Amino acid sequence: MKLIKKGAEADIYQTKWQNSKAILKIRKVKNYRNSSLDSKIRKQRTIKESQMISYARTFGIPTPLVYFVNLEKSFIIMQEIPGTPIHDLSESKIIKLSKEIGKLVGMLHKNGIMHGDLTTSNFILFKNMVYVIDFGLSQNTIKPEDHAVDLRLIKEILNSAHAKIMQYAWNNFLLGYKSVVGTSYNTKITKLVSDIENRGRYAKVI
Amino acid sequence: MLGLGIESTAHTFSCAIIEKKGKKGKILSDIRKIYRPAVGEGIHPREASRHHIENSSFVLSDCLKEANTSIKDLDIISYSAGPGLGPCLRVGAVVARSLSSFYNIPIYPINHAIGHIELGKLLTGASNPLVLLVSGGHTMLLAFLNKQWRVFGETLDITLGQLLDQFGRSIGFASPCGKNIEELASTSSNYVTLPYSVKGNDVSFSGLLSATKNVAKKSKVDACYSLQETAFAMISEAVERALSFTQKRELMIVGGVAANKRLSEMLKDVCKRHNCKFFVVPLRYAGDCGSQICWTGLLESQVKSGSPLKDTFVTQSWRLDTVKVNY
Repeated sequence: MKLIKKGAEADIYQTKWQNSKAILKIRKVKNYRNSSLDSKIRKQRTIKESQMISYARTFGIPTPLVYFVNLEKSFIIMQEIPGTPIHDLSESKIIKLSKEIGKLVGMLHKNGIMHGDLTTSNFILFKNMVYVIDFGLSQNTIKPEDHAVDLRLIKEILNSAHAKIMQYAWNNFLLGYKSVVGTSYNTKITKLVSDIENRGRYAKVI
Repeated sequence: MLGLGIESTAHTFSCAIIEKKGKKGKILSDIRKIYRPAVGEGIHPREASRHHIENSSFVLSDCLKEANTSIKDLDIISYSAGPGLGPCLRVGAVVARSLSSFYNIPIYPINHAIGHIELGKLLTGASNPLVLLVSGGHTMLLAFLNKQWRVFGETLDITLGQLLDQFGRSIGFASPCGKNIEELASTSSNYVTLPYSVKGNDVSFSGLLSATKNVAKKSKVDACYSLQETAFAMISEAVERALSFTQKRELMIVGGVAANKRLSEMLKDVCKRHNCKFFVVPLRYAGDCGSQICWTGLLESQVKSGSPLKDTFVTQSWRLDTVKVNY
């Protein structure tokens, strides 16, 4: 097996599943973590991720197919999406695709899923389609606050990693998001996003 | 070039003198007086500022004496202009303004958090790090991009320093409590499950604080151990996420909580996994000190002339990601 990426919490290998290329995502033991906390986190996230990847497909979100799950060793074998992470695309493409990302996030929220880790590396462009990956931190939730936390995270990422194009990308994201969730829900969520931002350290000028 | 830095954001009043030659800086003196609240209490802003007023002239004269220099030799004066507690910030600002106007020395208002980062870079030699700033006022992951420090993750509510201090005070320690908690934690290995809240690159500690207080009713020792394990694992995970996203090859920790050995140990392991160099600011300069303000002022003086006195305000809320860095 070839190691493709050492991610934050898992290692990604290229492997084979029934003669076709596949990805093995394994959450290895982290020695720095207390062992009972560690095994709990690894198991929980493996379950969540495999469930949510499959569930999101049922309402039309492009995600990898899950082939096999091993809870004991906490790994998942899934379809390989051999495209490019949005993070690595040109600035003009990121701006353009932000609308599509907004739509996808809107669909997730509308169906009661919070992704939990909305960064530009977790969307992959392949054959003109944007795939959503990495559901390890996702949750079943219809709480507007949770949905707002999702939006705040992608806003933070745009504001840091893509600072130059932040405003354009964010506006496009919201356009896409609004087109799915509707104007009134969109207004509600963006209001909550600024509430969360204002709770941040030293954000409000007193 | 000789600079004087004055720090007074919270519990510490400190003056430091640094001599800058090219890119190198030598700390000639760094004198501090720290306000200690009563056991079980937090910083009282009025009492802290009174403490600073009473100690300011002694700290300043000790600082000059140790550096073997006089005010007239100073090229610039910098002071911490925020973020912090208003009454405390004002003391440092008043001292700085008085010296600047009487001796006619250029004055520089400095962002306290940027000071932590710049002093860390000077003392550790890190060149392009992902920065973990953990203190009573901040819990942030930062990287430098297009002349500004950008936030890649932060706390959504209280900081790591507040978490440790507020919990420590609830079991009868005096602030700052980090060291006491660390000592007590090292005597237990019984992990009690506590809420673990990582949201992308961000963390949230408020639920953890309440839950740990409940555990402490049964066992203070287990509570300390489990609190450290949970909170530091959360931070480590956020660091891993930010490292993998930014692809930085260096990690530097600065701020008061950088003094915690267990946190360093965990982050060292994180760095090993990501093949990344690990830097931690020396213990003596982890917490608030005049040197951080002085060094940042000296850096600013490379590209800016001093501020007019009418612009030498203090700002309680001043996020470091709004500061333009041109040096």
